[in-house]
Amino acid sequence: MLESLRRYVTGYVALSNEEFTLLAEKIVVRTFDRRQQLLEPGEAEHYMNFVVKGLVRMYFYRGKTEVITNIAKEGELVSSSASFLSGTPSHYFIETLEPTTLLSLTREDLEDVYRQSVRIERLGRLMITQFVMQKEEWEHECMRLDTRERFTRFVEKNPELIQRVPQKYLASYLNMKPETFSRLKHLVRKRPAVGKPSTK
Amino acid sequence: MSNPLPSYKTALDELHRYVSRFIPISKQEFAQFLPYIEIREFEKRTIVIGKGEVERYINIIAWGLVRKYLPVRNREITVQLASEGHIVHSDLSFHYRIPSSSVIETIEPTVFFSISYESLQELYDLYPKAERIGRLLITDLFVKKDNRYFDQLRKNTRERFLDYVRSHPQMVQRVPQKYIASYLNIKPETFSRLKHLTRRGGASSAKGQS
Repeated sequence: MLESLRRYVTGYVALSNEEFTLLAEKIVVRTFDRRQQLLEPGEAEHYMNFVVKGLVRMYFYRGKTEVITNIAKEGELVSSSASFLSGTPSHYFIETLEPTTLLSLTREDLEDVYRQSVRIERLGRLMITQFVMQKEEWEHECMRLDTRERFTRFVEKNPELIQRVPQKYLASYLNMKPETFSRLKHLVRKRPAVGKPSTK
Repeated sequence: MSNPLPSYKTALDELHRYVSRFIPISKQEFAQFLPYIEIREFEKRTIVIGKGEVERYINIIAWGLVRKYLPVRNREITVQLASEGHIVHSDLSFHYRIPSSSVIETIEPTVFFSISYESLQELYDLYPKAERIGRLLITDLFVKKDNRYFDQLRKNTRERFLDYVRSHPQMVQRVPQKYIASYLNIKPETFSRLKHLTRRGGASSAKGQS
């Protein structure tokens, strides 16, 4: 189970076995059924979670509408990170979509290993930098790309999620109406990326 | 605005204080970092980094005022307004070493304390304290970013306007209105109207916005 975490970590920093053990010793394995709520707004996030198996979504309500901000699958991190990092109450719900296994680490334990190893501290810095960049990239894409471009880009990057995630959630994540999502899905299936966009 | 000309020394002391918020750091330790810092000066209305260039620096504003925007079709979407003590750079370009999709332009004459990508890596390698400062800084940035993202989604136009005006009174004086409007994702007309509202009735009534 730790293998996939090790691979993930190595993408940022090559840790020695001793260093990785420091981290691994602190890890808690948590398993959940599908449709279990892990966190709700107002609660503090205690864990940074690495998805070993399953699928998790993060969302909040704008009025009565759910807005999904993250869908995490195997090999990805999920956490109400701002709450986790700052200790302030979470803005978000976190819920499993499939039976899920997480490798989790508390903030205290993480701070503790940072003190023991500069390289793990570097790992922390690089991972958080990556969060910031992903957020930034996502915001820029939302401003720069139109609906169709956002859809195409997402499908290219996450082909398997189309099968696993209910369509309405994907639509919410991509900030488009479910009808638009269906229409685009058909378009893409029929003729891959030719001709000019029919709308606008 | 009409400040007496600030000195580098004052600005560096300010930077030292800023960094000390994250981790106690002595004058001597701070002095070790100084050789890595470049001072860069720009006139007003100067493009510091253009679209398509690769960002070489992370910049802290010693003094001055800049905006960062995304050119989108025939519009410019302001994504950051930064003044003294703020960090500004084309971050995606800087971290991924890819061409910038955003533009950074000065609004006032501006001086940056800049650290190049290479210098920053060296600092991290040589000084564990730099590593920690880096982590805490980026963490702080992430939390702020998340809060801003959330505000944008959750608050209505009026709330976004009022909150910004209250928390950034000096920016309202210094930054052209259209840039603030763009930053808050509010139409310039709406922005003017809201500005009048606040001036007249303080924070009272004015109902019917949603």
